[in-house]
Formats: sequence, C-alpha cells, structure tokens
Amino acid sequence: MQEIKKYSEDELVAALNMQDESAFAFLYDNYSGALNGIIMRMVDDKQLAEDILQETFVKIWNNFKQYNQDKGRLFTWMVNITRNLTIDTLRSKGYKKQQKISQDEYAVTNYKESSGATNIDSIGISKQLTLLKPEFKKLIDLAYYFGYTQEEISKQLNMPLGTVKTRMRSAIIELRKMMT
Amino acid sequence: MKAEEIISSGILETYALGLATAEETAQVNAWMQQYPEVKAELDAIELSMQQYAFENAVVPASSVKEKIMNQIAGEPQKSKAPVKPISALWKYVAAASVILLFGSIYFNWSYYNKLKESETALAQSRTNLETANSKINAMNDDMAVVKNKYSRTVSLDGLEAAPDAAAKIFWMKNSGEVYVDASNLPTAPHGMQYQLWGIVDGKPVDGGMLVTSNSGSQYHIQKMKSFGKAEAFAITLEKEGGNPTPQGKMYVMGKL
Repeated sequence: MQEIKKYSEDELVAALNMQDESAFAFLYDNYSGALNGIIMRMVDDKQLAEDILQETFVKIWNNFKQYNQDKGRLFTWMVNITRNLTIDTLRSKGYKKQQKISQDEYAVTNYKESSGATNIDSIGISKQLTLLKPEFKKLIDLAYYFGYTQEEISKQLNMPLGTVKTRMRSAIIELRKMMT
Repeated sequence: MKAEEIISSGILETYALGLATAEETAQVNAWMQQYPEVKAELDAIELSMQQYAFENAVVPASSVKEKIMNQIAGEPQKSKAPVKPISALWKYVAAASVILLFGSIYFNWSYYNKLKESETALAQSRTNLETANSKINAMNDDMAVVKNKYSRTVSLDGLEAAPDAAAKIFWMKNSGEVYVDASNLPTAPHGMQYQLWGIVDGKPVDGGMLVTSNSGSQYHIQKMKSFGKAEAFAITLEKEGGNPTPQGKMYVMGKL
C-alpha cells in the first residue's frame, strides 16, 4: 500500500461530505484498484468489471452522506456497495446463483494452482499471503469477494454453520497475523 | 455481554465481511458505542480485510477515472421542477374528465341496480317454472294411469251421506294396482280421513288411506293397495289413520 498521505481518513470523509471533487479523485486513486480487484474476482469480463466499478464510484459519490464513521471503516462501506452492485449486475444479466456457485467452485478449487498463482506473480503479492491455509483463504474469499452468506458457505462447503462461523474467525485471526 | 465475549464470538468478523443480519448489525453498532475495545477490534479486523483487498488489487484502465469524474461533475444538483401554467385546453380536458367520471359512476350505479332487479325477477321466474314443472309432472302421472291400456275404470257414486260425491277407481287388470281419483270427494273434516275398501268375497278389505289434508294432493290420482280381485270398491270417512274394519259413514261405492 503506497498511499500518498494527502488526506487522513477523517479529512477525506469530511471533504467527501462536502462533495469535494478533488477529494473524490484522491479516493479513486487510492481505492479503485482494490475495489476493482474485488469485482474482478466475481466477473470474468474486464469491460463489464470496469462498468461496475464506474457505477460503484458514482454511487459512492451520490450516497456518501449515508456513510457513518461510527459504524466502521470507509473501505468496508465501499466494499459492501461494490459487492452488492456486482451481485445485482450479475443477477440482472441472468447469472443464476446456482450457476455462479458451480463456477466459483471451479474457481476456488483451481485458485492456488492456476489463476491464483499467476495473479500472485503479476501483482506481486507478499509471499506471506500464500502461506494462508487454503481452507481459510477459501472461506474469506467466498464471503468477502463473492458475498456469500454464512448459510450459503455452509451449504457450499458441506460444513455445519457453527463450524463456518468459528473457522471464519480463525481465518481472519490468521490473516491479521500475516498482515501485521 | 462482556467485550471479550463479543470479540471471541465471531460476530465482529461476520459484521466486517458484510454478512451480518440487520439485527446483528444493530447489535454490533450498539456494542461499539458501549465498548471502545470492541470498536478497536472491529477496526483491526476491517483493516486486515482492507489490506487483503489491496494485496489483490487490479488496476483498472485509466479511462475509467475520466468517465467517473465526468459523470459526477456533469450531474446537476437536484432542482425543483418549475411549476408551469396549465393551458386552457388542459383545463377543459380535466373538467371533461371529471364530468365523465361522475357520469360513469352514475351509470355504474344505475346499471348495478338494474342488474339487482333483473336477478330478483329471474329468481322469481325460476321458482314459478319449478312449480309449473312439478304440476306438469303430477298431471303426467295422472294421465299415465288413465291412459294405461290395462286400466279399468270403476265409478264410485255418491251415497246418502253425500249424494253429490263421486270418485273413480283405476284398477290395473294385469298387476292389480289400484289408483283413486278422489277429487270429487268433499273435504274431509279435521281429524278425519277417507279410507278405501275393496269388497272381496263379500267382506271389506283395507285399501289404504286417501290423502286429503295436504292442499292439492287430493286432486291427484293416488296409488292405493293392490287387489288381485275385488267385487266392489267403497270409500268411508274414518278417524285419522283409518280403522281395521269400516266404522264411519260410507260416502261412495261402485261395483266392478
């Protein structure tokens, strides 16, 4: 992360509440890649992903007043908008959830070997991240990137709901260790 | 719940992943107000997710930023739509449509009433038709008896008690069935009933009770008990339900 410390998060939020366009440009420069990465996990089509990204940022701009700092980080709020818009778009384009699941399953099982490996090389992900246990990675990705509910993950992985919840926590704890 | 319990429950991870239900979301928000350590924990979780997302960033085409910046700059502030004066034509159109509406309501109401009237009349006609049909059926039954080729008619003539009285017996030669047309008997007094007798070997044998109490029934030909043979038929006035042997006055009689 190479953020240019032009705005602190508080300053950025204040400026965006004032509909400050240069603050918004800063927001885009800093977060568009991460949000686009999330969309790209769900959407194969690069062009469609960029359309969704565009829609996402316009929505962030228009609905910024709805963001409440007391309820969590700005990025988390933006991720929720991104994920919901992506899922809505996929649904409106006729992707049935069942289809999506089976495709995802394919994607997840091939995650490490093929697409994951090339991603890691091309983006230069820290080596530590590859150390995250595959089952933890799968859990985090299904929830965070694909917007699966815990019930859906439970069905998808044939795992009791309680186990999903505890493993999810373990996964994030492990992730945190790696990130710090 | 204590802060440590909340932290270890996994609900904060659920929240950070955007998977919390509305109820859980409200709960987490309340806890964040209450416990600074919960808020700090959530912040740490969110930060790790954020870093994870940054590790997986995919830089979009540079044209996207341009499009977005144009779109938000180009969006005009929401302005109130100006109130335009309505032209005279539209006033007439509006007035006409209101008049049409009321006219339509009136016609609906009046047609509804007419419909109700028609329905009542129809129901009355149906009842009349049913009555007429049942009369026709009864008459057809009567005619069937009269027209039967085996039917032998015996006229019973009035006796002293009622010289004007008369009755007819239809005796079916083939089956022995006996029918009576009692329409020319005087109405039986209350508590009394006419009883038919067949005279067999000089003795009266019970032929059944005639129904005269129900209005209209006596005007129809009634089926009585069958007789294989009989020399004569007679009708007497007996107490309601009849007697094993004739006790009352004989009204009509006729020989076969």
